[in-house]
Amino acid sequence: MTQPDFSGVLEASFIRSRDLDAPLGDRLQAFADDVRRLAPGFMAAIDALVGRLQESDAGAAAPKVGDLMPAFLLPDDQGRLVKLQDLLKAGPLAIAFHRGHWCPYCRINIEALARAEEKVAGEHRHIAAVVPDRRKFAIWLKSEAKAPFPVLTDIDNGYAMSLGLAIYVGDEVKSLMTDSGWDPAKSQGTDDWLLPIPATFIIGTDGIVHSRFVDPDYRTRMEIEDLLAALASAT
Amino acid sequence: MHQIRYFLAVSDTLNWTKAADRCNVAQPSLTRAIKALEAELGGELLRRERALTHLTELGQRVLPMLRQCYETAVSAKMAAESIIKGDAVPLSLAISHTVSLKPFAPMLQELARVFPGLRLKLQRGSRGEVADYLKSGTVEMAIAGPLGEAWTRLDVFPLFEEHCDLAVAPTHRLAAKDGAEFKDLAAETLVIDVGCEVVDDIRARLRAHRIVDPPTHDVGTREDQLALLSANLGVAVITVGAAETHALRLVPLKQLDLHLTVSVYTVAGRQRGTACATLLNMLRAAEWASA
Repeated sequence: MTQPDFSGVLEASFIRSRDLDAPLGDRLQAFADDVRRLAPGFMAAIDALVGRLQESDAGAAAPKVGDLMPAFLLPDDQGRLVKLQDLLKAGPLAIAFHRGHWCPYCRINIEALARAEEKVAGEHRHIAAVVPDRRKFAIWLKSEAKAPFPVLTDIDNGYAMSLGLAIYVGDEVKSLMTDSGWDPAKSQGTDDWLLPIPATFIIGTDGIVHSRFVDPDYRTRMEIEDLLAALASAT
Repeated sequence: MHQIRYFLAVSDTLNWTKAADRCNVAQPSLTRAIKALEAELGGELLRRERALTHLTELGQRVLPMLRQCYETAVSAKMAAESIIKGDAVPLSLAISHTVSLKPFAPMLQELARVFPGLRLKLQRGSRGEVADYLKSGTVEMAIAGPLGEAWTRLDVFPLFEEHCDLAVAPTHRLAAKDGAEFKDLAAETLVIDVGCEVVDDIRARLRAHRIVDPPTHDVGTREDQLALLSANLGVAVITVGAAETHALRLVPLKQLDLHLTVSVYTVAGRQRGTACATLLNMLRAAEWASA
């Protein structure tokens, strides 16, 4: 059984993992290890969900290297409408889907991306994040990481779904998450319990996918070194 | 996304042959896609019993959310593509008399920037008229308080709440008071907007405080209500924002506790235009400071 304020108990673990002087993968793993130690039942349910998603090839239909990245028009954290073409005018782009401001893995990931953006921004290469959260929560996620890039709101996971990246968490994980204090319904403004697979795409200025990372296991993300290398070689 | 399109087609028709025709695919592809979706969701969605097909309990539960997400995905995709083509973009929108356009102006401005072909058709109306505009398809979307409609095809997305209070002209005897009670209204003429979304709530509260059949001036629009209040022909319970724009005095009315929940409405199952879909997403994503 998970404790009622499990998400609160994990806050210290989140901060320790986020602030580790280590590659992103190790920081995410450190956090996952703590969850597994503190709540093996919760982690077993997540393993089952991830196993089912991997078995059914969830995310397999997402744009592949060489495909044209489908256009989008999404509101950003300032309330402006942002088009993919506009972002590409400034140079090659890494676009990273995130599950929400409540997700510790996303918070660790966004922090790492924020530091990466600081490195590449002078080279006309950019990063943008997409969340199903409404603006208020997108702002929260962005401020916590002091992210210098836009955080776009994908209402109802509409864009993620059009890419084949929207998944339903299922009843078991839904009730475990609610009990633990994670409730995406509030920040998404809809009770549908769909979440995006936190995929990352590197897109060239011609709109073509140059590189991608798609894993239905939300505990793993595109490594920052890989992302930077892909961005550097994209044109 | 085709998996969800196929699932929605079978749910609508409950007939695999018709669903396959509608999606323009062979039946085995349809079956395969639905099996894949079932594997991803971890359970059976549809059950085939001889000639009959029906939704399982899981199928019934996930259907509304997959439909909403699918509709958002399709219309958002169309919106992104229509900018590339530079099409003319019509948007028909109804707003109730009670709601100010002002908080929405920055979004319309942003919409016009992104869609240079934007052509707005704005209609004002009472709650009944707004509901009729939606039903008849005169407008694609509406912004209003509660419409008092139990129409199942109405999609309602609450945006923010507006606080209501007692408004009087600056020269009115109650204007100088820090607060009022319902008994102070016994001797007053009330200016009532009969098409307003909270008119039933106002009447119920008056009745609850034994103010039955008070003298009234009945009006049909917010503008006329404000004009009569400014001319000191009576007092009214209105949203705080409206009173402030007309230099009326707001007097806190004890035990009123009335809010207007402003929502955006669309009609389920109707194809949303590109501007409508984009504005809907902006409205739903926005951070509203409750008035």
